[in-house]
Amino acid sequence: MSVAVYREFARVGFVNILAFRLRYYTGVLTYFLNVTVYYFIWKALYAADPNFAGFTFPEIVTYVAVGWMIRSLYFNNIDQDMAQDVMEGKISMALIKPVSVQWMYISQALGETVFRLAMLSAPVALALALVFPVRPPKSPAHGALFLLSLVGSVLLVAALNFIVGSCAVRLKSILGLLRAKFFVQELFSGLLIPMTLFPATAQKVLACLPFQHIGYTPMLIYLGRLSYPQIALALALQALWVALLAAFGAWFWKVMARKITIHGG
Amino acid sequence: MPGEVQAEGLTKDFRTFQRKEGIRGAIENLFVRQYQTVRAVDKVSFRIQPGEMVGYIGPNGAGKSTTVKMLTGILAPTEGTALVNGFVPYRDRTRYTRTIGVVFGQRTQLWWDIAVVESFRLLQRIYEVSDSDYKTQLDTFDQVLEIKRYLNTPVRKLSLGERMRCDLAASLLHNPPLLFLDEPTIGLDVVAKTNVRQFLKEVNRRFGTTMLLTTHDLSDIEELCKRLMIIDHGRVLFDGALAELKRQLWQQMWVRIELREPAQAQALESLSLNNIHRERLDELTYRLVFDREEHTAGEVIRQVVSEVDVRDVFIQEESIEEIVRRIYTGPSVLEFGR
Repeated sequence: MSVAVYREFARVGFVNILAFRLRYYTGVLTYFLNVTVYYFIWKALYAADPNFAGFTFPEIVTYVAVGWMIRSLYFNNIDQDMAQDVMEGKISMALIKPVSVQWMYISQALGETVFRLAMLSAPVALALALVFPVRPPKSPAHGALFLLSLVGSVLLVAALNFIVGSCAVRLKSILGLLRAKFFVQELFSGLLIPMTLFPATAQKVLACLPFQHIGYTPMLIYLGRLSYPQIALALALQALWVALLAAFGAWFWKVMARKITIHGG
Repeated sequence: MPGEVQAEGLTKDFRTFQRKEGIRGAIENLFVRQYQTVRAVDKVSFRIQPGEMVGYIGPNGAGKSTTVKMLTGILAPTEGTALVNGFVPYRDRTRYTRTIGVVFGQRTQLWWDIAVVESFRLLQRIYEVSDSDYKTQLDTFDQVLEIKRYLNTPVRKLSLGERMRCDLAASLLHNPPLLFLDEPTIGLDVVAKTNVRQFLKEVNRRFGTTMLLTTHDLSDIEELCKRLMIIDHGRVLFDGALAELKRQLWQQMWVRIELREPAQAQALESLSLNNIHRERLDELTYRLVFDREEHTAGEVIRQVVSEVDVRDVFIQEESIEEIVRRIYTGPSVLEFGR
């Protein structure tokens, strides 16, 4: 199986989503509102303590704005799509093709990511930069490393969502699981609050989980909070998590696929 | 061997969760779950030779689709083995699916929101079909299916018949030695059905493609398949040639009699006909139904015309359709054929 096939899946994912362009215009607004709400919350908090959570106010504004901007990029619907495909029995259409189901879903999601970059992330970034005092990356080098870590974020979320989606084979409806994952990911990735606000023990535990490599790691790189050796370590850890979760997903899918039950039709 | 299907004691159990009704039942469901095992396919064994076209029929819920899903590697059998094209479908899924084509009448394997040609291109990459082979295949298919004019239309905008034709082409782009068709003509109009059948026949003739097709339309079988398998309650009830089914199970025969005048009815009614069922259809018409093992049509007609003034006589045999309906509805007939 060649890479070309999965590149083609990505292209299909990209073309597929063209049909739903309209969804993105409302998406831009949603993201903008989220950042605005958090901006005022943080503003109120910083009125009391100008060095709250170990960040200055301009830093936290950048943190929130960039945090939401990159969320628009790494976000994907693999888990929801899989649940739907299992419910509708469409998953059999994937199984009759000589492809890895895991990489089929992931590549299609990556195609959507490219689309999202143009239709959602870029407009969101522009709107935020015009309205809020968002700082640029600490240096061009930090900017480049930030982009590199974003690649990791995207893959990490994709690998994670595939695992969650695989549960649908057994559970059929994974709405509850999706909700739970949604909140865990938003909270533990550092999107809602920086990790520094968690109690010390919680921080240690969370450092052993993959979630903070989704949002927090790229953010720290962007803000210049990590030294170069620390960045190298963070990127290596991120890559390690992607590999681990992808390998686990491949195994987990195999186990789950044995339990597929599709009645009728 | 490519194009060969071997199923040996193939069995599939589904475990379903029994829901209790009402609020009390819903609360009980939270704590105690009762499961029920349903055997969808029960020790099915058969062998299909390369190049054969086999019809697989049965009433709804008989286990047809489940069998096809096990043979295509979608479902793992609970028991038994399948060896298809020399592969164990479930275990070698990615390598195996390269060697088969699958068409589900109720679903499409094409991507819903993109143009048909985009799906074809993707399939071309997936199955590693060279550009020249791709072009030749498409030209060949176009002769019968006339799909080229839909190539730039998104699948969701195609009619069922158009979509089915595109799906057929998609399943054969890589020219597999074996094609599974699960209700390929379902919902199609007469013209589209004929078109699909003609295409399948042509593919089988030209490439020697083995085909296993499930259907509810017996004319599919009569048109395409020499061999027929009937399954019900997960078991194969009949496996043999269509002619053989007729020979074994063709039981009833009908003779329709048109009287010259209504007064003749009296004469017919008073005839003593052993084990022949008389049915009056209208003033002048009667239908006599009898077992062809017991009576011959000639004998029955001779008896009738000797006493009754008859205008016309029509002999009807039971159609395949009726034989099959008898198999589906009456379990007693099953033993008859064995």
